[in-house]
Amino acid sequence: MAVRMENGFEIVGIRTLPREEQTRPRGHRRDKESERSFLGAALILTTIILGCLLCDLFVSRDLGYLDLRNYSVPPGREFLFGTDTMGRDIFAMIWYGGRISLTIGIAATMFSTVLGVVFGALSGCAPVWADALMMRLVEILLSIPSLMAVILIQAILGEANVFSISFVLGITGWMSIAKVVRSEVRQIRECEYVIASRCMGGGFFHILWKHLTPNFVSSIMFMVVMNIRSAIVAESTLSFMGIGLPVEVITWGSMLSLSEDAMLANAWWIILFPGAFLVVALLCFTGLGNHLRRNFNRGQSNL
Amino acid sequence: MAELLEVQNLSVSFETPKGEVQAVRDVSFTLHTGEVLAVVGESGSGKSALCKAVMKLLPASGRIRAGGIYINGTDISRFGERKMHKLRGKLFSMVFQDPMTSLNPTMTIGAQIAEAVRVHDPKLTRRQIYDRAAELMQLVEIDRAQERMHLYPHHFSGGMRQRCVMAIALAGNPTILFADEPTTALDVTIQAQILGLFRKIQQDLGMATVFVTHDLNVAAEAADRVAVMYAGKIVEIGTTEEIFRDPRHPYTWGLLRSLPVYGRGQETLYTIPGLPPTLLNPPKGDAFACRNPYALAIDYEEEPPLFRVSDTHYAATWLLDERAPKITPPVRKTADLPPYGHSVREEQEILLDVRHLTHVFPLDKKTTFKAVDDVSFQIKRGEIFGLIGESGSGKSTVARLIMNLYRPNVGTAVAGKKQFFGQNLSGGDQSRSAARILYKGLDINDPILFRQHKKMLQTTRQIIFQDSNSSLNQRMRVWDIITEPLRIQHIVPPRGSLWAEAKFQMHYVGLDEAYLNRYPAELSGGQRQRVAIARALSMEPELLVADEPVASLDVSIQAQIVNLFRHLQQEHGFSFLFIAHDLAMVEFLCDRVGVMYQGKLVETGETRELFANPRHPYTKALLSAMPKGGSRFGEMLV
Amino acid sequence: MTGSRWGRIQYWGKKLLILIVSLLVLSVAVFYISRLAPGDPLVSYYGDRVEKMSLAEREWAEDKLGLNEPLTVQYVCWLENALQGDFGISYKYKLPVVTVIRERIGNTLLLGGTGFVLIFGLALLLGIACARHEGRMIDSVICSIGTISSCIPEFWVSLLLMLFFSVNLKWLPGSGAYTAGQASDWGDRVRHLILPLTAVVLGHLWYYAYMVRNRILEEVRADYVLLAKAKGLTRRRVLFRHCLRNVLPSYLSIMAISVPHILGGTYIIEMVFSYPGLGTLTYESARYHDYNLLMILCMLTGIIVMLCDMAVKMVCKRGTEKGAWP
Repeated sequence: MAVRMENGFEIVGIRTLPREEQTRPRGHRRDKESERSFLGAALILTTIILGCLLCDLFVSRDLGYLDLRNYSVPPGREFLFGTDTMGRDIFAMIWYGGRISLTIGIAATMFSTVLGVVFGALSGCAPVWADALMMRLVEILLSIPSLMAVILIQAILGEANVFSISFVLGITGWMSIAKVVRSEVRQIRECEYVIASRCMGGGFFHILWKHLTPNFVSSIMFMVVMNIRSAIVAESTLSFMGIGLPVEVITWGSMLSLSEDAMLANAWWIILFPGAFLVVALLCFTGLGNHLRRNFNRGQSNL
Repeated sequence: MAELLEVQNLSVSFETPKGEVQAVRDVSFTLHTGEVLAVVGESGSGKSALCKAVMKLLPASGRIRAGGIYINGTDISRFGERKMHKLRGKLFSMVFQDPMTSLNPTMTIGAQIAEAVRVHDPKLTRRQIYDRAAELMQLVEIDRAQERMHLYPHHFSGGMRQRCVMAIALAGNPTILFADEPTTALDVTIQAQILGLFRKIQQDLGMATVFVTHDLNVAAEAADRVAVMYAGKIVEIGTTEEIFRDPRHPYTWGLLRSLPVYGRGQETLYTIPGLPPTLLNPPKGDAFACRNPYALAIDYEEEPPLFRVSDTHYAATWLLDERAPKITPPVRKTADLPPYGHSVREEQEILLDVRHLTHVFPLDKKTTFKAVDDVSFQIKRGEIFGLIGESGSGKSTVARLIMNLYRPNVGTAVAGKKQFFGQNLSGGDQSRSAARILYKGLDINDPILFRQHKKMLQTTRQIIFQDSNSSLNQRMRVWDIITEPLRIQHIVPPRGSLWAEAKFQMHYVGLDEAYLNRYPAELSGGQRQRVAIARALSMEPELLVADEPVASLDVSIQAQIVNLFRHLQQEHGFSFLFIAHDLAMVEFLCDRVGVMYQGKLVETGETRELFANPRHPYTKALLSAMPKGGSRFGEMLV
Repeated sequence: MTGSRWGRIQYWGKKLLILIVSLLVLSVAVFYISRLAPGDPLVSYYGDRVEKMSLAEREWAEDKLGLNEPLTVQYVCWLENALQGDFGISYKYKLPVVTVIRERIGNTLLLGGTGFVLIFGLALLLGIACARHEGRMIDSVICSIGTISSCIPEFWVSLLLMLFFSVNLKWLPGSGAYTAGQASDWGDRVRHLILPLTAVVLGHLWYYAYMVRNRILEEVRADYVLLAKAKGLTRRRVLFRHCLRNVLPSYLSIMAISVPHILGGTYIIEMVFSYPGLGTLTYESARYHDYNLLMILCMLTGIIVMLCDMAVKMVCKRGTEKGAWP
């Protein structure tokens, strides 16, 4: 070392050092945590969805069959999760019910997303007065208790079926997405890259497709997933209250509508198992949603 | 007797997603009672972190890894929050960079000052606190203090807010004041006022001040001593005179040489080659070695210690070792520098003709704001026209009007009318309104003409914005961004494919083609601005409008971009409207200059002429407000 | 700046006019929607007997309830009566709807009001606690409890609470607002209130707590916090005097906006616990086509929604007038 130092005093000028590997931003500790919970949520959700899709393979009981000898049987070997007050096997019902609950959740979200994006994009591109009017409408709609609106609209449509209830949940749940899309569009429209694109002669559709869409899609993904969640909750609440799908149509909510009888019989399994499945599915959706959400508290706390 | 503040071997690091960033590395310095120490360095050199570390205002991810901070001989580096908040405000206080965000928007100015007063003397009565707050406001030269106390920060301009921040900082009569780039976010004239106020208050109250800045000129004006920081270390420290007259560290040489004043008579501004290292894992040896033309072999191996030049002057470079070759940096007196050598261009065709341009923004139903007021100027082919003015003077609005982004609502703007269309414009049109923009003789705000010449107008005029971050879509790759205009206009790429075209443009603006597939977020500010330039150039524009293209960049990067502009302009011969608030850059780059003030174009002229003999009082004020601290020390390096 | 008195009168007049017009529109909408819906309103009046009615009897019954006229005539009739303070009778209870509602509104106000105060009080406290200890144990524990509990539908929480505390442990009554015959016993009422109240609070608390936390964390990242610390304030003082103060106005307006939603939540919980309040009543009236009752309940909800909206606007307006919000 000492020898090298003695020889070191000659001018060598600028040497290019080996170029540093561009490190892409690696995950934070918190990101890693969210990564893990995301993986867990995705895994459980896939299991539930697969179970619901493939339940014909492992559930052989006929759900229409009311086994009146075996009503309100506690969980045991024959009935894994017990039977309900009408003698139906809860384990089997959960998988079949999940099909309809999840279908409604996804279908309703598709409705609300399409509506929300279209309305929000229109409002975002509209002149100021139209935008103000449209946003006022959204605010009024937002302030109506959604359950009441759902009940009323469902009343007009008559007897509920899977499609009509998805539709109703869809048209009562699009407002928050519309709000986000609108504010994103407004914000991006003022962005300099959009202005630059306009200067170069980029038309409305070019800007919409190339600049606006990619930027707001990421910000509404969270809301879309959360909409699936709230649609499932709303459906189950409705079915539970007996305003939604009839008792014969099995969903997680309608299974719980028997809870009054179950309460009398102190049959906790009738309430616990379907509800637990519901909650686990909802938690998984929340996990997915949180992963998709933009992390807004990025900066450092000054406190 | 112990020094007022003595920092010994201080190291500060930040936990980031990428790893531990060593922002301050082994820094030692002292501060004597009543002196002003300027800390100079580029952004990311750790100067701000150094101040915050002393005051223990680092965010949760930052921590002091080693070293001691002695105040009158007591080590406070291990003090907890409980002890620190008693020292803050009283012993030391701080003024921050951005006055727009450093005041609480929902509290009145008076309440915020009063709060600072009360913290230090809880026994005061309401009346006394109120009086003291008013007194502080008068100290920072805010008149009508009694009334203005009840106003909220958003009622004030940037300069006034910075005064309020100073009043708050002075409330506890601190012995040491840290000023973290206090004038950077302000306009030139305001900057000069605030700087003057700083000096006055500092002399009156006699407090020791640590003045952080990236501007050597400001440092020379404000400070008794200067410390130059690079890559988290102090590389040279000495009295202002020593640093400016007898700098020893190659980095200081580089900094001095890249001051735009020394670009006089040169084709290009001097820039320090390369980029500062990331402090994630600082390079072995001297961090500056790979940008240093005088680097010694040992620089790549071992870190240089601080060598003593005189009792007050130290520099960390192996060049000062007795075994090293003696290098005398070329010295030249500022007075010898030739004036800017812009050849006056012979009569050329007028490309852009702006006549009586006026633009009014409606603020609400009743009030309007006249952003641009009767502005007329011409740009000839191949000319670089600079537009200078403070923020809010209407420069950007002019740029946007020229690009057809706004329609002048009480005026007109005209860009490069083709001669044979000239007849269309005269007559009926003129009687409607005097204001217009003629581009190649075409009235660009005439809808019919615009439609006829849409493609020409959209391809031959291009714009570059200030903030390269928001002017590039974060979700597009670089090659996609550069070729976007080609795709919009359905132009067959002249070099075969879009990819080849993007590659060519990248090469042209001096970027590595490896970046073509990257996203803008992975690039540095200067690189992003080069991408924006490449995008504009891909259309072979005849008129390039650049709206403060270098304002958000570091000084050394600014010089690189300005050099690039000059080089490209010479090669392409496009006309260039360069909008800036930095007088030095405009002086270096532009052939002619227009000065805007409150929406009006108050003066235009040849650059040399205008800078030598400004006529309008505002231009005079602007020129005299330029910090020229450096030139105080007559002879300089080039 | 409602400086002059005349200006203030104009301002309030305008507000009142908007309120009245909106109520009219709402009443038209609800009236037509409810009547267009399939279902037999006679069922709620006559119960099972409807099935045995002859056509003539039906006609007579419909005539008696005023159901066989054209819809528009029915609406005008209803409006005329309503303006005189007569909102008709409830088909199910065969009492004037005002009387029916008067009996129950107290219960709902008690449940909803207490719930509201508890939710927003606790949310603020939890939010501050989280923000103060950001990234530490207490923060992550509260946040994860919040995430999990936000995923549990209100009705299921209610069912579980009922199952454990009422059916199994028999600690608390699981239904009703008071034991029959003890309507004036406040202790009894409180005991009946505990479970539904818990369900209401658990259902909404976390959302608002999380919101408070994020808002404060946003504030804490602002530059003015550094200046406030640099002038020598303690962390606690910066948090409360500066950050919290800036969060509160928007928190207030969110509180006002949330009233209808929390109300909607209590409706479901009332039903699960058979708590005699407006929620149960709304549900019944919608289900059994008790038109007059449904109308007035919808109008009541509408009024609450609009009043809250006005309150929000006033909070914002005051903020801007004072100049605190740019």
